[in-house]
Amino acid sequence: MVSELAPAPGSTTIEVALKIWRYDAETGEKELKRYEVEAPDWVTLLDVLDIIKDKHDGTLAYRKSCRMMICGSCGMRMDGAAVLACKTRMYDIAKSGHVPVISSMGNMPVIKDLVVDMEPFWGKIRRMKPWLDPGYEEPLEKERIVSQKQMNVIHKEALCIMCGCCVSECNSMESDPEFFGPAALAKGMRFVGDVRDQADVARLNDYNEEHGIWDCTRCYFCNERCPKGVDPRDAIAKLGAESIKQGVDHDMGAKHAKWFVHSAKTTGWLRETELVPKTQGVVEAIKQTKFALKLARRGKVPPPVPPHVADRIHESRRLYHLVKEQGRDGALGIVQGEHALGRIEFAEQAAAKTSDPEVRPGVKPPPAAG
Amino acid sequence: MEAKHDVLIVGAGCAGMRAAIEAHDAGADVALLSKIHPVRSHSGAAEGGINAALGNASEDSPEEHAYDTVKGSDYLGDQDAIEILCQEAPDDVYQLEHWGAVFSRTDDGRIAQRPFGAAGAPRTAYAADITGHVLVHVLYEQVMKRDIRTYEEFFAWKLVMNDDRCQGVIAWDLLDGGLKSIGAKTVILTTGGAGRLYVGTTNAYACTGDGMALALRVGVPLKDMEMMQFHPTTLAPTGVLITEGTRGEGAYLLNSEGERFLTRYAPNAMELASRDVISRAEQTEIDEGRGINGNVMLDLRHLGAEKILERLHGTRELSMTFAGVDPIYEPIPVRPGAHYHMGGIDTDVWGLTEVEGLYAAGECACVSVHGANRLGGNALMETITFGKRVGHHAADWALANTTVEVPPSVEADAERELKELLDRGEGERPWSIRDELAESMHENFGVFRREDQMRKQGEIVDSLRERYERVIVEDKGNVFNNDLTQALELGFLLELAACMVPCGIERKESRGAHARPHDYPNRDDENYLRHTLVTMQDGRPQVDWKPVTMTKWQPQERTY
Amino acid sequence: MKRVAYYKGCLASLSAKELDSSTKALAPKVGLELVELDAVTCCGAGDIHEAEPDYYLHLNARILAYAEAEGCDMLLTVCNVCTLNLRQANWQLKNDEELRDRVSKNLQRVGAPPYSGGVEVRHLLWEIAEGEGYELLKKSAHRGLKGLKIAPFYGCQILRPSKLLGFEDPDRPWSLERIIEACGGEAIDYPAKVKCCGFPIIQAREETALGELIQPIEQAKEAGADALVTPCPLCHLSLDAWQSKLKESTGKDFQMPILHLSQLVGVAAGLDESELKFKRHVVSVTPVLEKLEV
Repeated sequence: MVSELAPAPGSTTIEVALKIWRYDAETGEKELKRYEVEAPDWVTLLDVLDIIKDKHDGTLAYRKSCRMMICGSCGMRMDGAAVLACKTRMYDIAKSGHVPVISSMGNMPVIKDLVVDMEPFWGKIRRMKPWLDPGYEEPLEKERIVSQKQMNVIHKEALCIMCGCCVSECNSMESDPEFFGPAALAKGMRFVGDVRDQADVARLNDYNEEHGIWDCTRCYFCNERCPKGVDPRDAIAKLGAESIKQGVDHDMGAKHAKWFVHSAKTTGWLRETELVPKTQGVVEAIKQTKFALKLARRGKVPPPVPPHVADRIHESRRLYHLVKEQGRDGALGIVQGEHALGRIEFAEQAAAKTSDPEVRPGVKPPPAAG
Repeated sequence: MEAKHDVLIVGAGCAGMRAAIEAHDAGADVALLSKIHPVRSHSGAAEGGINAALGNASEDSPEEHAYDTVKGSDYLGDQDAIEILCQEAPDDVYQLEHWGAVFSRTDDGRIAQRPFGAAGAPRTAYAADITGHVLVHVLYEQVMKRDIRTYEEFFAWKLVMNDDRCQGVIAWDLLDGGLKSIGAKTVILTTGGAGRLYVGTTNAYACTGDGMALALRVGVPLKDMEMMQFHPTTLAPTGVLITEGTRGEGAYLLNSEGERFLTRYAPNAMELASRDVISRAEQTEIDEGRGINGNVMLDLRHLGAEKILERLHGTRELSMTFAGVDPIYEPIPVRPGAHYHMGGIDTDVWGLTEVEGLYAAGECACVSVHGANRLGGNALMETITFGKRVGHHAADWALANTTVEVPPSVEADAERELKELLDRGEGERPWSIRDELAESMHENFGVFRREDQMRKQGEIVDSLRERYERVIVEDKGNVFNNDLTQALELGFLLELAACMVPCGIERKESRGAHARPHDYPNRDDENYLRHTLVTMQDGRPQVDWKPVTMTKWQPQERTY
Repeated sequence: MKRVAYYKGCLASLSAKELDSSTKALAPKVGLELVELDAVTCCGAGDIHEAEPDYYLHLNARILAYAEAEGCDMLLTVCNVCTLNLRQANWQLKNDEELRDRVSKNLQRVGAPPYSGGVEVRHLLWEIAEGEGYELLKKSAHRGLKGLKIAPFYGCQILRPSKLLGFEDPDRPWSLERIIEACGGEAIDYPAKVKCCGFPIIQAREETALGELIQPIEQAKEAGADALVTPCPLCHLSLDAWQSKLKESTGKDFQMPILHLSQLVGVAAGLDESELKFKRHVVSVTPVLEKLEV
C-alpha cells in the first residue's frame, strides 16, 4: 500500500514504549523485552530502535540503511504485521498509549532479534532467472524502442525493493515453505510483462510448476503489507492470465480457473459438480468419491443436470466472444488501477503509438483532474 | 585466508556492481564484498536521473555535456576525465537499457531525458523519480545472471598491504562473526560517500566513507576532501532527499514571502541553476529571516496531480511520510543537506590509485570529474562509466599477474587490535561522539565556512578522536554485531573529518561547494586552480596540492 | 425498508442454498427489501479475473448494470469473494473513463444495460454491523444466543485489500464481534480469524490448503468456541465440508459447527429450520442448537 499522510514533524518530545522479541542465536533464548524511551515527535520505528540501541541496549540487532523506504533493509513485524521500520511514524501510536510488539518478519528463520535469514528469499528470486532474456536479437547500437505504455505494464513490479514484507505474511508459504512467494513471482512478472524479454513461454512453464503461480492462496496479505504498492497478488494474477493466454495451462489451478470461464459463458453460474473432474481429472474425481458422497448427502453436490442457467445467458456468451475479439488478453487485461498511468491501451508489438498528449517539462500542464 | 580472487570489489552499489560485471566479462575471477546486501546500497536512493548526451530531448553532444560539467565543477574538474565520461556516457546508458533498465520513455519510445540543474540541454535520462533504484536492480540482475560471488554482510575493515601492493581485505563477518581475510590480486573500492559526517544528510546510515578511510590508512592521498555538496532540497529534520527532478519538471522555490527568490541569485537558470548556487541562495534566505522554521518552500502544486503521480510519485510518498505534506495540495518545506562528496580517493582515469593493485571508483573516488561541484545526474553516470573502466583495468592487470598473499602477521595484528576494542569494559558509547561530530560539522563546516569556525572544528575533531580511543562496544557477541561495525564506522568518519577540515582552511578562496563569503568571497584561479591532496602522517593530516588537468576550457566567470 | 439489489452468487444458488434461504428470511427483519437479479452470472470468483481478465471485468460490470437498471443504488452481497470482485471491477471502471466507455459500449452491444457506476457494493455484514441495520438487528435478535461462544472467522477478501474494501481495519476488524454480541453471544478471539481458509487452492493444492484450514478451527476449539461464524460461503465450504479431511491428515476430529452469518443472526432472530437449513451442513450443528434449546 502507498503512504498515508503522517503528522508534520514538530519540535516536541514524546514518550515511546515498545516490546521487542529478543532472540539470542548463540544460546537459543527468546525473550520479550520492554523498552521506554524519550524521542522527538517525528520519530519512526527505526529511529526508536536506534535510540534503544545507542542509549539503552547496544546488543539489539536489526538491519537498516537508507531510512527513506527505498533500500528494503528494515522489514520487521509490528503487532504481527510486517512493516518497514523507517516508514512507520510513531507519533499516533505513542500518543494513544498503545505499546506495540516488535518481532522479526515471518516465514524466514531468525538469525538474531529482528534480523532474519534472507537466503531462502534470495534463492527463490534467483529461481525466477531474474535478468532480461532478449533472445537471439542482434545487439543494437542505441536503445530499444519501447513505448511508455508498454513499460507501464511492469511499472508496479519494478517498484519492488525486496524488503520481504509480502513474504513475511504469505499464508500459502506458511503452510508450504517451498512456495515461490509473492516477491519472487512479482519479479517473474516484471520479466514476463517486459516486452523486451523473449523468454515468456519458458518462464511461464517454469513458474507454473509445483510451488509456483497456482500455489497462491489469494489471501491478499502481500498486497496489504507491501510498503511500495507493488501489489504482488495482482502480479501473480497477471502471470496466471498470461499463462492461460499462452497455452501454458496444464496445472490444476489453471484448469480450475478455466472451468469458471466455461461455466460463465455457458450457464452463467459455476457448474460446481463438474469442477472436481474438470480440475483434477476423472481419476482423482473417482478417488474423491467417498468424500463427494458425504457432501452429496447434504445436498452440497448439486446435480449437473438440469444445469442452473442464468437468464439472458446469450448476453454472457456474446460478451465472451466480443471481448476475445478486442484482444485484451493475458496480463494486459488486468487493469492496474491507481496513478495516472493506470490506463493500459492495447499494446502493439511494434513501436509506440499513443493518443495521449505527453506532459512535457517546462510546459504548463492542463489543470489536474484531482 | 578465507579465499582469494583476481578482483575483489568492496562496496556493491552501482559502481561496484558495474565493475564486477565488467571484470567478470573480461574473464577475471571477481567477488563483491559489501557490509549490506547489494540492493540495499545507497545508489538505490538516487532519484532524478543519469546524464548522457543521447540527444533524445533536444540537440546535444558530449562536448556540450563536458562543458556544462567543467563549468559546473567551477573549473576544478580534470577535463580529460570529464571528456572521457561524457564521450562514453551514451553507450554506457544504452548498455543499461539493453540489460533491461526500466527507463521512462519519450513519445516515440526512446529514453526520455529531463532538464536538470546547470545543464544546457535536457540530458538527464530517468525512470520516474526512482532512477537509482532501477539501476541498482538491473545491475544486480546482471550480477545474479553471472553468479558473481558476493560476500554479503562482510564489513571491510582493513586493506592488506604486502610487498607494496594491496593484496586483499580483512573484514568482519556480520552473520557468523569473526575477522576473515580475503586475498585478491586487485582491490577496487566503491564504497560511496560520507554524508553521515553531517546531521542533516540525504545519505544512508551506511555512508560512512569506509573506502576513503581504508585508502587513507594505507597511504593513498585523498583529493578535494573539503568539497561536500549540499543538496538544496532535503526534508527537515533528517535530510531525506527530494529530487532535483521536481525542479526539472518545473517546481518553484519560494521564501516566506512567497517570492521565487532565485531571481536575485540565478536569474537565468532559476530553479535549474547549479546546486551549490541554490543551496547558498537558500541558506542566505534562511539566515536573513525569510525562511519558515529553517526551511524554504518547494512548490509542486502547479504541476498538477497527474504529472506528480506519474513522474514524481516517490517524492510524494516521501513528502507524505516524512514531512506530513501532500505536494499536490501543499508546498514541501526543504533546506540544504549534505548529499554528495566530490572529494575522495585520488585516482587516474582508469580508477588506479598510487598503490599498486588498489583502485577506486564512484563517489568514494575523485578522478576528478566533478571538481568543486557536481551536476545532478552526473554521479550515476560516473558510477557506470568509471565502474566499467575500473573493472576492466583491474581485471586486465589481475589476469596478467599471478601472486596473492595475505601475511599472517597482518591477520594477527588485526585480531589484536579488534580484541583490544572488544575487551574494553569502560568508556564512552559511540553515539555521543557521533552526534557531536555530525552537529559540529553541520555548524562549522557547512554551506558557508569561516576561518575561525573551521579552526574550531579542527580542534573539536581532534578532541573527538581522542575520546574515540576510549569508545566501547556493548555487544561482545559474534552474531550480527553491528554495534561493533558501527563503532568502526565512527572511526572512519573521524579520520575523514580530520582530513576535510585542514583542506577547507588551506583553500583560501570560494569555489563551488566551498564557500567562504566572509574572508575569501571570490574564486582565485591564480593561486587555487588546483586540487587539495591530503594524507595522514603519524595520525596528523598533511595537505598538499595537485594541478588540474585542462584540455579545452579556460576558467570563466560562473553565473547562472 | 431499504430496497437493494440482491446478488447471491454461485454457492448460495447451488451448494449453499442454506445461505440464500436464511438471508432471504432475515432481510426484512433488518430492513432490507431484496430485489433478485435473474440475468446475472458468476462474478468470476477471482478465477475469471485470473483466466480471462477482460471478460471478468465485463461480467461484473453487467451485474452492476442490471442492479442499476432495477433502480437500485446498492448491490447486496453475501460472499467475501463476490464482494471483492465486484468492488474491484467497480473501482477500476470508475477510475478509468476510457475503460468504462469501452466496457459500457460492449454491454450495450450484447443487449445488456449500460454501466454507469451508480451502484455501491456492500456485504450484508456491513449493513447489519452498524447504523440502522444494526439497530434493527438488535431488536430482532429476541431469541438471543444465550451466551454461546462464537468464534468469528472473517477470512480474507472481506478485509483485504483494504483499499478496495475499506469497511474496517483489516488487522483489527470488529463487525462480526459486534454482531455476535448484539445477538447475545460471546465473541471468541484467536489469531487466525483474519487468515486464509485455503479455499482458492483446496483442489489444486489440497495439502497446502489444509495447512491453512486447520488454523482457525484448531485455535477456535482451543479457545473454547462452540461454533465458528463466517460471512463467506467459500470459507464455509472449506471449514464445514472439508473439515473431515483434517481428521484424515491430522487424526483430529474437531466437530466444530460452522455457521453462515445469516444463520447466526437468523437463529437469534427466531427463524426456523426451513429457513436456516442447518441439515445441509456436513458438520452437525446439533450441539449448538441443543445449547440454544431450539
